[in-house]
Amino acid sequence: MDKIWIILKSEFKRRVTSKAFILTTLLGPLALIGFMVIVAIITVSAMTGDTRTVAIVDDTGVLLERLLDQENDSHTFVAADAPIDSVRQRVLRGEYDGYLVLPAALLTGESRATYYAVEGGGSTLENFLENRIERALEEHRMSEQNVAPEVLEILKTNVSVSNVKLSETGEEAGSSEFYALLGIIMGMLIYMAMLIYGTVVMYGVIEEKTTRVVEVIVSSVRPFQLLMGKVLGIGAMGLVQMTVWAGLILAGVTFAGSVISLFLDPAAMSLPETASQQEMLAQAGLSLPSLSAGIFVWFVLFFLLGYLLYAGLFATVGAMVEQQQDTQSLVLPVMLPIILSIIFIQPIVESPNSPLAVALSLIPLTSPVPMVVRLAVTDVPFWEVLLSFALLIGGFVGTIWLSSRIYRVGILMYGKKASFKDLVRWFRYA
Amino acid sequence: MAVLTIDNVTKRYGDFTAVDHVSFEAQPGRILGLLGPNGAGKTSTIRMIAYITAPDEGEVRFDGRGVGPWSQEQMGYLPEERGLYKKIKVADQLRYLAELKGLGRAEAVEKIRYWLDRFGMSEWAGKKTQELSKGMQQKIQFIATILPEPRLIILDEPFSGLDPINAELLREIILELKDADRTILFASHRMEQVEQLCDDICLISQGQILVKGPLRDVKRSFGRDTLILEFDGDDAFLDAFEERGLIRISNRSKHRVELRLLDGAPSRPILEAALDHTDDVYRFERVEPPLSEIFISVVTEQQGQDAAESVPRSPVQVA
Repeated sequence: MDKIWIILKSEFKRRVTSKAFILTTLLGPLALIGFMVIVAIITVSAMTGDTRTVAIVDDTGVLLERLLDQENDSHTFVAADAPIDSVRQRVLRGEYDGYLVLPAALLTGESRATYYAVEGGGSTLENFLENRIERALEEHRMSEQNVAPEVLEILKTNVSVSNVKLSETGEEAGSSEFYALLGIIMGMLIYMAMLIYGTVVMYGVIEEKTTRVVEVIVSSVRPFQLLMGKVLGIGAMGLVQMTVWAGLILAGVTFAGSVISLFLDPAAMSLPETASQQEMLAQAGLSLPSLSAGIFVWFVLFFLLGYLLYAGLFATVGAMVEQQQDTQSLVLPVMLPIILSIIFIQPIVESPNSPLAVALSLIPLTSPVPMVVRLAVTDVPFWEVLLSFALLIGGFVGTIWLSSRIYRVGILMYGKKASFKDLVRWFRYA
Repeated sequence: MAVLTIDNVTKRYGDFTAVDHVSFEAQPGRILGLLGPNGAGKTSTIRMIAYITAPDEGEVRFDGRGVGPWSQEQMGYLPEERGLYKKIKVADQLRYLAELKGLGRAEAVEKIRYWLDRFGMSEWAGKKTQELSKGMQQKIQFIATILPEPRLIILDEPFSGLDPINAELLREIILELKDADRTILFASHRMEQVEQLCDDICLISQGQILVKGPLRDVKRSFGRDTLILEFDGDDAFLDAFEERGLIRISNRSKHRVELRLLDGAPSRPILEAALDHTDDVYRFERVEPPLSEIFISVVTEQQGQDAAESVPRSPVQVA
């Protein structure tokens, strides 16, 4: 234990004080903040969008009034009070964004409406116009059939779906997008920890083997102590890096929030000029829904254990080769389950309780990523999380046992790259 | 006393037996030379002594007790395949390796200062190891081996890569350690170094011990069957003896020949031939064989000519 601690300290200190570590730790989030600012700007511009002024040339004589009557928040309709040629000129001059021609035959469905504009409106605008014309037409036809105005009123009702997450502690209103995003972020973090820090462990093992320093070390400590000290030391380094990143990202998110609120106009959202940033973001649907601490506890646990499990496997690969370029074919089987769990993130987000999602979140080699994603987007039964975690612990104990047996033979084998056949042989020696 | 006992030890890798029922002892205050051709089982034996691997049969004891983590703390091992962490500073590296041997920090720092000073490397303490020359790295690794004052010291080719001045310094320190009653195991292919340093030898080949015992006894047992001949003139007369299988020439230069008399062949005919065929003879001496000759003849006897020839024959200096 004492020796593991000495190795852990040395590995940790050596790596944390390296220039590469300091640079990636500090510069990583800078790139991320830049990314977030861009996302914020795009979000705002997509939200406010561009409002177009559309002149309506109505030959039906009935639709114009109804179109002008409609509640309208994104685009503006105006009646074309001039002959069509001059409307066309006005559009070309930029006074209107475009004009809409409604032929008389539209009422009987024998013709279609046409939108003229200098620049195409895109499908969003097309959908918008279709929707509006359809409704105006519908209203007109209904009134022709003498439908009572009360019924018309009922039919006018807009429908929008709001997503409410149910939980034991009560119901929480919130956007499922947010939970999906949270799940994906947490999943990606675990993925990174397993892959990147696992690779660091692997290269560390290869370095010790290439420089032959390993022979001296194992004449002082047991190979298992060396393996554990190294894995834990690099794990501690990863934890420090993640913590620094989390802090910087949090600062970045706050920063992004301020940036968004700069673009938001309180008046446009029917809030007083003096509205706080929080209120504005809330109105724009960008507030953070509340989260239970449990998710984060499980996240940290799966994060750590997932790393430990893969660190052992990557160390095994490192012990089998002497040069970094020899790792490729050997590392593939180790990376496959990790990649698999990342590929299935989207399906898991979409249907977090499908048999596939449940299975992936229980199998020890794939479970860390899918499980935290599911925890974020849905309520996973407690026993399922517990079972998954217990299986992961079992998987960790199993792989570390396997790894350390192969490791202690492999680190002393110089020369050629080991095959899987050698692996079995080494396993028997140990 | 800190005696190292290798008791009937066998190590197998699959079907291959690397070490086959080997037994020998190393005494404190003496240097044991561990010799053998490449792939003889030296490294396998050393690794079992260092408790890096475990024997399949038999036992390795130090101080009468089976080796284990406890003995690792009392042992310094300088492997033949050696290296250090490239990016760690020299002093930090030495301290880390010393701490792994159970040394306290303050004690380690003090010893690092002493040894770096002794090797004239104090100004390198703060440099990264990769900035050092190969020879300097060798010295650092030697320091790392002996710094925790181990009672058992295993040195595998400690002189390789060192210039004569540093080699002499190393020899001096090894002899100091011997005088301090440490048990020292010295593995080498350089027979003249073994002859200079070792009190006892143990020659392993194909996993088995061929010769062991005090160096002087081993040499005496081979008798004075080696001839040193110094002369002026043509040495072609020797070829006839060699063709008839009476002698084997181990060293041949313009005015000097070193040869072994095979199967008790008499030396007189050679002297007579020399007097007949050369201009002058300065020296004609029968001596004990140099260790390299013993090595070659013993290994040849076991494996046949090919194996022995694969062993690099060291230039032998007769002091």
